Parts: sequence; structure tokens; C-alpha cells
Amino acid sequence: MSRLLIVFLSVMLSSVVAQADHHIPNLGEKATEFKDEGKEAHKRDGMSHAASLILQRKMHPELLSHKRDKTLRQGVRGGVVQLSKCVECHTSVDKDGEFIPVNAPDQFCSTCHKKVGTSLDCFSCHRTTPAEEM
Amino acid sequence: MKELNRRDFIKTTTATTAGVATIASGITLTTYAALPKESNPVTNEKRWGMLIDTNKLTESNIDDMVNACQEEHGWGNETHSTGDQQAGWIKKIKVKDKATERISNLALMCQHCEEPPCVDVCPTNASMKREDGIVLVDKHLCIGCRYCMMACPYDARSFVHESLTNQKTHMPRGKGTVEACTMCVHKVDKGEAPACVASVSSDAVIFGDLYDPTSKINQTLKKVQSTQIRADLNLNTGVRYSGI
Repeated sequence: MSRLLIVFLSVMLSSVVAQADHHIPNLGEKATEFKDEGKEAHKRDGMSHAASLILQRKMHPELLSHKRDKTLRQGVRGGVVQLSKCVECHTSVDKDGEFIPVNAPDQFCSTCHKKVGTSLDCFSCHRTTPAEEM
Repeated sequence: MKELNRRDFIKTTTATTAGVATIASGITLTTYAALPKESNPVTNEKRWGMLIDTNKLTESNIDDMVNACQEEHGWGNETHSTGDQQAGWIKKIKVKDKATERISNLALMCQHCEEPPCVDVCPTNASMKREDGIVLVDKHLCIGCRYCMMACPYDARSFVHESLTNQKTHMPRGKGTVEACTMCVHKVDKGEAPACVASVSSDAVIFGDLYDPTSKINQTLKKVQSTQIRADLNLNTGVRYSGI
């Protein structure tokens, strides 16, 4: 009986550890600053900030692919949804002050994409660091 | 409880739906707090084109054009590609009249045809023409089959043979996709001239809206003799040449 209890307790403990592993990804240089200043990134009208963030997290592929078609095929430029803006805020800087590619291991994009096992194809063509002049 | 017949049910549901629609019509779920404006879609009221005067265009002008294009789009530094694999969005071409032996130099790039063969053959719709006449490759859809390269009578397209990094923000380029002159679409959308046109200080290269009767290109085309390369194919190119 006590053996069963030990097995049960260890299963409980491991599930708790697995939950605790659900950490916040490396937000990136500018995004972290933004958050520390208490600003609400990705906030939408008529929605709480938390709900907006969940929507952003879930819908970012749809938002981006909708915009990419509009930009490429219809020449619609500017606006909120731009991959270059994602990259601009969510890249980190290493010790030498150089930008780390946003798709490198443990960086903003790759953390979640690795976790959920979805491939990240944007950056086989798109630039992974903010543009030089920024 | 009162028995609800079909007619009453429809009445009450219609009333409720109408009421909810009236109350909730002001609420939209996915609008941004401060919405930076998106530009309007391009229309077919314009057609972008270019006129290259080979009498005025010097060889160094053409080199400047090629360099400006490389600088703008970041091609030409591929280390593993050799010979035919090298990208060539804009090329310096020498043409010789066999009868008179007159040699003229021209800059040859995507001619932005009105009836582009590359768009006709593309199996995935990646090769496409914008409403304003600019022919582009949608690299999101491109599978790298290179049919368009076969179909193009101007040999204007290239294929990326190697993995690339550090691309320009406005010009994503990647292994396994076809690419070509975009007529600097990112600049044109901002109201600027393409990089190659801006690099030539004389009026050897004119860029503008072919349909606008007040534009310089439209007026010049009315006055001077100009030709399309391979005009026999009836592609109605956007890039035209005079002096050849």
C-alpha cells in the first residue's frame, strides 16, 4: 500500500514540475523594456490586456499571413501587423551589443515553436535581426 | 408553462436577435487601440514603366545601375553559387547589329510584361502581376520549380541556390525560391523611383506611370521612337528601349 502511495505522490510531483516548466519565453530587448515601463503591448479595444495577449499568441500566424498577402499582392503597406516590427521588439542583444537572431535557440520565436513542435519558416527568407539603420 | 407554437417562437427569436444586433452594433472585437494607417491597395489606374535610352546610357551608367540594384536588394554576394547559379536581377547586355556592326549597351531586367509568360506557367500562382503592372514572385508560395525561368524570354529571373542570412528587411530572399527585379516595389509604394533609375543622373532612364498623360515617360514615349525587346511576342512590356 505504501509503495502505491509513493508512486502516486511521485506522479503528482512530476506533473507539478511539468506545470512549473511553463515559463515565459525570452521576450527580447525592446519588448522587455516596454513591459517594465508598464505599457500594454498588443492591447486591443474592447478586450482586456490578458485576453489581447492570448489572442496575439494564438492568432499571430493568421494575422501575419493575411497581411503578407495584402502587402505582396495588393501593395498595402504600413499598419500594425508587420513581421519586421515583431523582429524589432522581440530580438535580444548579446554581451557585445550584437543582435541575436530571433529564431536562434532559446530566443523569442524558437522557444514556443520548439515546445509545440511547429516549424518556423519565416526566417529562411526574412531578416532575423532589426535592420541596420534602426 | 405556456405552450410555445412555431409562429410565436419565430416572433420572439427575431425580436431578440434584432435587439441584440442594435445594442451590440457598436462593439467590434478586434480593433487596435491606436491604429497606424495601412495604405490603400494599388489599382489598375496606373501602370508603372521604364524607358531606357541606349543612346544616352553609357557603360558606366549601366554598371551604376547594377551596383545600385545589388546594394538595394542585397544580391550578388552569394559565396557558394557559381556561374549560371549567380543571381542577376539586372544585366549589362551588348547587342550588335550584324549588318552595320553598330554596338549598343543596354541594361536588361524583368520587363514587367502585361501578359507575363512566367505568370502563365506558374503551377502555384506564386508568379503574379500586381494591378499596377509590376510582376513579382510570391516566395511564400514559390516551390522553386523554375518553370518561370524557362518561360521568360528575357532570362530575367534567378534561383537562390544557397541558404542566406542578413537579408534586407524590405527584400526577403531565401534558398529554393525564384527572384527577379521587383521594380523596387517597396520604394514605388512610398512614391520613390527605383534604385537603378535614381542611380543614373542623366535622363537616360525614365520611370513613371505609363497611363498618366502628364507623366514624363508618357510624354516622351509619344515623341521619340521606342521599341520593346522581342516585340514579336506581344507581351506589351513595361520596360521600353529607345535607340536600338
